[in-house]
Amino acid sequence: MLARPSLPVIVFFVALLALFAALPFVGGPYAIKFATRLLVLAIFVVSLDLLIGITGLVSFGHAAFFGVGAYAAYFVSPDYEAGNLALVLAAGIALGALAALVVGSFAMLTRGFYFIMVTLAAGQMLYSLFHDTDIARGSDGAYVNVKPNLTLAGKTLLDFESSLQFYFFTLAALIAVYFLLFVLARSPFGRALQGIRVNETRMSALGYHAYRYKLAAFVVAGAVAGLAGALFACIDGFVTPELLSWHQSGLAIMMVVLGGAGTLFGPILGAFAYIALEDLLKTTSLVGEFVSSHWRIGTGAVLVVAVLLSPDGLAGFFKLFGARAAPAPTPPHADPHAAVDRPARAARALSTEGLSRNFGALAAVSDVTIRFAPNLVHGIIGPNGAGKTTFTNLLSGAIPPSSGHVRIDGADVTGWPAHRIAHVGLGRSYQRTNIFGAFTVAENCALAAQARNGSMLRLTDRRYAAKEAATVAHALAVAGLADRAHVVASKMSNGEQRQLEIAMLIASDADLLLLDEPLAGMGPEETSRVVALLRDLAKDHTIVLIEHDMDAVFAAADTLTVLVQGKLLAHGAPDDIRRNEAVLEAYLGHHADKSGAHA
Amino acid sequence: MSAPAADIIRAEKIDTFYGPSHILRGLDFRVGRSETVSLLGRNGMGKTTLLRSLMGLTPPKRGKIFIDGRDMTGQRAGLIARAGLGFVPEGRGIFPNLSVEENLLFAERAGRNGRRDWTKDGVYEIFPRLHERRTNWGNQLSGGEQQMLTIGRALLSNPEVVLIDEATEGLAPKVRDSIWETLRLIAARGVAIVVVDKNLDDLVQLCDRHVILAKGEVAFEGTSAQLRDDPGLVKRLLGV
Amino acid sequence: MSLVLIQLLNGLQYGLLIFLAASGLTLVFGILGVINLSHGSFYMLGAYLALSLTGLTGDVFLALALGIPIAFLFGMAIEWLFIRHLYNRDHLQQVLLTFALILVFNEIQQSVWGSHPLSIPAPSYLSASIKITEGLSYPVYRLALMLICLALALLMVFVIQKTRVGRMIRAAESNREMVEALGFDARILFRLVFAAGVALAATAGILAAPVESAYPGIGDRVLIISFVVVVIGGIGSIRGAFVGSLLIGLADAFGKVFVPQFSAIIIYALMALVLVMRPAGLFGRA
Repeated sequence: MLARPSLPVIVFFVALLALFAALPFVGGPYAIKFATRLLVLAIFVVSLDLLIGITGLVSFGHAAFFGVGAYAAYFVSPDYEAGNLALVLAAGIALGALAALVVGSFAMLTRGFYFIMVTLAAGQMLYSLFHDTDIARGSDGAYVNVKPNLTLAGKTLLDFESSLQFYFFTLAALIAVYFLLFVLARSPFGRALQGIRVNETRMSALGYHAYRYKLAAFVVAGAVAGLAGALFACIDGFVTPELLSWHQSGLAIMMVVLGGAGTLFGPILGAFAYIALEDLLKTTSLVGEFVSSHWRIGTGAVLVVAVLLSPDGLAGFFKLFGARAAPAPTPPHADPHAAVDRPARAARALSTEGLSRNFGALAAVSDVTIRFAPNLVHGIIGPNGAGKTTFTNLLSGAIPPSSGHVRIDGADVTGWPAHRIAHVGLGRSYQRTNIFGAFTVAENCALAAQARNGSMLRLTDRRYAAKEAATVAHALAVAGLADRAHVVASKMSNGEQRQLEIAMLIASDADLLLLDEPLAGMGPEETSRVVALLRDLAKDHTIVLIEHDMDAVFAAADTLTVLVQGKLLAHGAPDDIRRNEAVLEAYLGHHADKSGAHA
Repeated sequence: MSAPAADIIRAEKIDTFYGPSHILRGLDFRVGRSETVSLLGRNGMGKTTLLRSLMGLTPPKRGKIFIDGRDMTGQRAGLIARAGLGFVPEGRGIFPNLSVEENLLFAERAGRNGRRDWTKDGVYEIFPRLHERRTNWGNQLSGGEQQMLTIGRALLSNPEVVLIDEATEGLAPKVRDSIWETLRLIAARGVAIVVVDKNLDDLVQLCDRHVILAKGEVAFEGTSAQLRDDPGLVKRLLGV
Repeated sequence: MSLVLIQLLNGLQYGLLIFLAASGLTLVFGILGVINLSHGSFYMLGAYLALSLTGLTGDVFLALALGIPIAFLFGMAIEWLFIRHLYNRDHLQQVLLTFALILVFNEIQQSVWGSHPLSIPAPSYLSASIKITEGLSYPVYRLALMLICLALALLMVFVIQKTRVGRMIRAAESNREMVEALGFDARILFRLVFAAGVALAATAGILAAPVESAYPGIGDRVLIISFVVVVIGGIGSIRGAFVGSLLIGLADAFGKVFVPQFSAIIIYALMALVLVMRPAGLFGRA
């Protein structure tokens, strides 16, 4: 999770800040203007990091919101006198946010390549709007003839005509934006965004409505980009459609990655470094005639090398100074050794009625009617291709059924999407371990615990912090991971990761646990540990698990359900199933007789 | 060419992972020339992973694999296939946008020493239904026909050994019988076979040797007679 | 009426040109799984190459004969140098690397050919216009262009449906792993497919040179349109690229004449519509 910057980083930026503060007194008007442009660019690029680095949304149309903000400044500025500063900035923010809302509501329905394409196309659409039509004088560009100021009761408080005031305002704005986004990224809302970046499917399964979170992040980023655009319009007073072009968006992505996506401070460096690089490559006296007249190749080459070699960008350099980022905050710690109180839970039953699912001509699950009684461990077994995983997906809402019903305690939840079913107490684990590998064990559980509390827009920890901390501690203790709380999940053994899956389910307060092969790839001691855990959990949870490890299933399960070729073959106590002829045949093939001996 | 090795496949102490999941644990496995071996075990025990490791599709992290005497550890699947392995995967791997005949002939080539024991006409003789359907699209076949196609396709590469994952799963009894018949024919012509299936009776008739996997390790290895003499073992390792 | 007819022909001609470029893109993305932003640059380089080669040989079709192999070899070099490192990387890295390539290609173009729009005339034996109706003539070269594009489209279909390479391409598109398991090295196939994509884009650029002038930004336009076509048609589908290209070509031609201010917006709106109704594209596999 996003951590507090390490000491060398802080020292570096304080020094940088001092440099920027001193600049107007040692540099001339050109230097001030140049630095102002740098600062505005940095604001723009930081907003993109909220999307790319924090939420994992590679948007190729972000420059459009920047441009829209610049044009907003033009729209609200009177032709020949100074506009209202507050209005100009507010207009930039509002129009940027609005454009992002419109584009985002559509773009968030797509993922991966399609998302990149849609944002690219949307950006180009907005570009065309300003370039081809004359809502703002088309390709000629538009002018903000007089820079805005802030006047109150006849006194001018702030005037952008003064390049010095404008400069320091922009510097302050950058600092403010950084801190704002930093705090946002570390809030419960921001932690959810990071979870979506690392594993969106898991977040949905935990109960987060990913679409809304992503859209909110998109709008916030659009608003900040709009602010940067409005500020930009005040630098030279000239706005053109080229500001919205996808080339600008592409360059912005470069800067984010060059600086180090996800750190928020890295992209600031990335923007500075890129501009410096461009400037350097254009300075004939330093690099010679050939390089300076072909500076784009130099930039391109540097970027190619950077992409291929360094995944962490410039921000990664600080690690060389022995810096390690301070550990991210988990909700305030509860004593892990405190007595584990088990809250009373409702006894939940899970049932299906005529549940079927077809994939084209293939009937993966056929007409399965079954009831999983509360507070028991139910095993689902069956030979290969029996439809067990499809069945689990139907129960958890990952896929909708072709026909039939799924009920939790009699309430019909058929066809509900995964995040909605999670909210009525159903949690699942996956056949292939599906955790947040990049986060620590405690952070994984914290995300699970957070899912059920408060609204999406939770920006502080205050109300639920203690409760969530206790939930996490409890979950870790029950799952036997209390002493691994700060280990990064991807570094643990497979068995421990499976335990983490279960810990997350406990932390998410699920009453119904659906476990798809929880023992896969585990050695004997790990297996018996998890089996003991499951029997313990069954006291106040309803557990349905798919497994192939027969010894474990027989040790753990109270009932067994046998699925063969998508149909329910048998259901009952383990010993009865063991003696069931049809089941034996399904497992051993035809001609198997009762004792298992063969002719 | 050097004298052929005794074993067409020899895997030594292989460890294969899926991400952090340790599936095959220090496994030894060998297949002799013209030998028929069955690979048994409940789901999740590592049968498919073993076949994929041998084919080079899911390479092992540790251990060595020798094909026809040559060390092919870590080699690409394409090279391993050309060293004499034919593969009939669980999902059949039929190309839906190629015709039946195009699928069949996809890997047609000469085998070791330039031998062409298997020809297009020869395969059509064994599987007349495929000949009837040769212009259909690959995905317009019944389950049994798909299996025939995949086996035929593997045969036309004139392999030394064919790896078959789930030979008769999901097929009606009569179709199953014809598949076993075909496998007997293949074995009679000297092609080694490694077959995964759960029909113990048929496997016992077809195969010289049986290997049962449990949790990524070899839990039993022996002849059909040894398997027959120990029904408790069968129930323990394969049943419920 | 004659205006409609002209725009119909223009639209078809534009669409067929776009088809060449878009088909290369859809193959590369469908089979190699790589988002290649520099695809438009190959069109641009083709257009400029046409200028130089026509200057050398005196005839645009001779330029084509020389240009296609040059482009093919260039494509193989680019794949070997850069693209093959992207096969297992995430979208962000693919986007960045190919975007950086655009910068490099743009610079090469600037240094060699400069930034003024340049054009070449149609070959003399095709420079006339033929009469379609009373009062309406249409340039012969444009008609020839359409025929050539159609011929290339048919050639593409032939290669994909009837040749060994085509079978491997079709197979690799649905199951790359099985192709390897049957004894083939997908790496060579990928190199060939990428090179073919480059050659197709360059061919489009060369053929278009007598019809529109080459200017520095031409690659961007072609890239975005190609992506729109691929999204509309479905990733990996040649048929989809064909239908999508014609659709976009006609929309663009009519749009530019009847609602010039909104013609670009219409095209993106079309893409948005298709994405909402059929997220995998008209002929794509879900």
